[in-house]
Amino acid sequence: METTFMGYRRPDHTVGVRNYLAIIPSVFCANTTVEKIASQIPGSVPMPHVVGCAQVGFDLELTARTLKSMACHPNVGAVLIIGLGCERFNPQELLDAVRETQKPVAMFIIQNEGGTSATIRRAVEAGKEMKATLDQMKREPCPLSALMVATKCGGTDATSGLAANPAVGCAMDRLVAAGGSAILSECNELLGTEDYLARRAVSPEVARKVYDAIYGIEDVLRSGLDPTLPANRNFLISRGNFDGGVSSIVEKALGGVHKSGTSPIVDVIEYATRPELDKHGLFLMDYESHDGEVVTGMIGCGAQLVAFTTGRGNPTGHPIAPVIKITGNSRTFHSMEENFDFDASSIISEGRPVDEVGHQLLDLIVRVASGELTSAERFGGTELFCVGRRHGYRRKTREELWAGHSCPL
Amino acid sequence: MLRKSLIINPTDTVAMVLEDALKGDTIQTPQGQTVTLLSDVEFAHKVSILDQKKGNPVIKYGEEIGYLLEDTPAGSWIHTHNMDCDRGTK
Repeated sequence: METTFMGYRRPDHTVGVRNYLAIIPSVFCANTTVEKIASQIPGSVPMPHVVGCAQVGFDLELTARTLKSMACHPNVGAVLIIGLGCERFNPQELLDAVRETQKPVAMFIIQNEGGTSATIRRAVEAGKEMKATLDQMKREPCPLSALMVATKCGGTDATSGLAANPAVGCAMDRLVAAGGSAILSECNELLGTEDYLARRAVSPEVARKVYDAIYGIEDVLRSGLDPTLPANRNFLISRGNFDGGVSSIVEKALGGVHKSGTSPIVDVIEYATRPELDKHGLFLMDYESHDGEVVTGMIGCGAQLVAFTTGRGNPTGHPIAPVIKITGNSRTFHSMEENFDFDASSIISEGRPVDEVGHQLLDLIVRVASGELTSAERFGGTELFCVGRRHGYRRKTREELWAGHSCPL
Repeated sequence: MLRKSLIINPTDTVAMVLEDALKGDTIQTPQGQTVTLLSDVEFAHKVSILDQKKGNPVIKYGEEIGYLLEDTPAGSWIHTHNMDCDRGTK
């Protein structure tokens, strides 16, 4: 097994697997300006989004955290921040956060620059200089302990739980054994597995945090249900999952947790928030939503790559992190081969040992970390960049969340 | 004809067919029991391997994934038409 990968060492001691110039709007009002700047700097990455204003409380906190975590991410070598000037999220906060990482950064505020054209002209000039500097940087050998991989399923069918997720789980066990880290999340899809996950926690307090996370997500979901709507509006599982033979959220959850492997859970971490510096291993990120918000949150936690399993097929990518597409369904692999990086279906069709397939997958992860492009990168997929939202929900205390559950702790 | 199938945990009440199967096809459990399918069952869908009563739990991965909405003899296709799960919806 490879014990090193070729990465970009950052001044703040993090390690990137890509070296992007990211162009980030502090508010959606700057999106078009950002796109136009990016179109004039080949190889740069625009990161338009739909947030930054008319938000309060935890919802605005999630936006602030996410935008800062993207700009400060080790896969980003330099940053252009484009603000409007009157938005709720203060672009200066974003600038200050990036300055702490000591990477090149510049900020342009449309209302201060005198409109779209002047902003584009000045930002393109600054961005081209940054890009030239980034193009001079070289990859260096880095230990696997510097890697953090986000695990995710999307477009799940029953083969995900049988082949793709066990293969990812095995690769994550090997990565964790080498000192690296992995993240499990999408807690909405862990309902019913909380006792099992809590048993894997490194301490009683981390076990309690597992219950907080899963009961908390169930509370969020319950708060959104509306019995006056047609029954299927209240389903937490997609039509494609049902078509694929998955009959309940608990069945899906049990298949989904396989992708975390068997390592102990070292901590439960918050959305787009890095773990404590000395902590490595398997983390649970406390969040639920669709693929984009969850993947963006895990990348915000510091994951440089994503291991994404899909039985039904899924073409999505993220602007700053390679997303490795893995399937356990040979039929899907052959019908959508251009969208896949890894076929784990031989576990089902030939009875190949999961361990052997997982080992092969970790080799691919290391090659991608060293620069090999994924299918989603070749297509330029960026739709997994979505900022987490939490409208009109106050986070509850442990006492409130545990009421009505039979938690054994 | 005999179809490929898989039972993940010895306590499971369902098997999954690993290829599209037709009514009248059979699957075999690790204990050597033969189950005849009572309807067509698509790849990766579940089949009851025991005669079960309405309200009984459906066990897969060794855990309860829901409960039966009707009596399901061995060989029944098990899916959302005859099982439900309250978790995450109420």
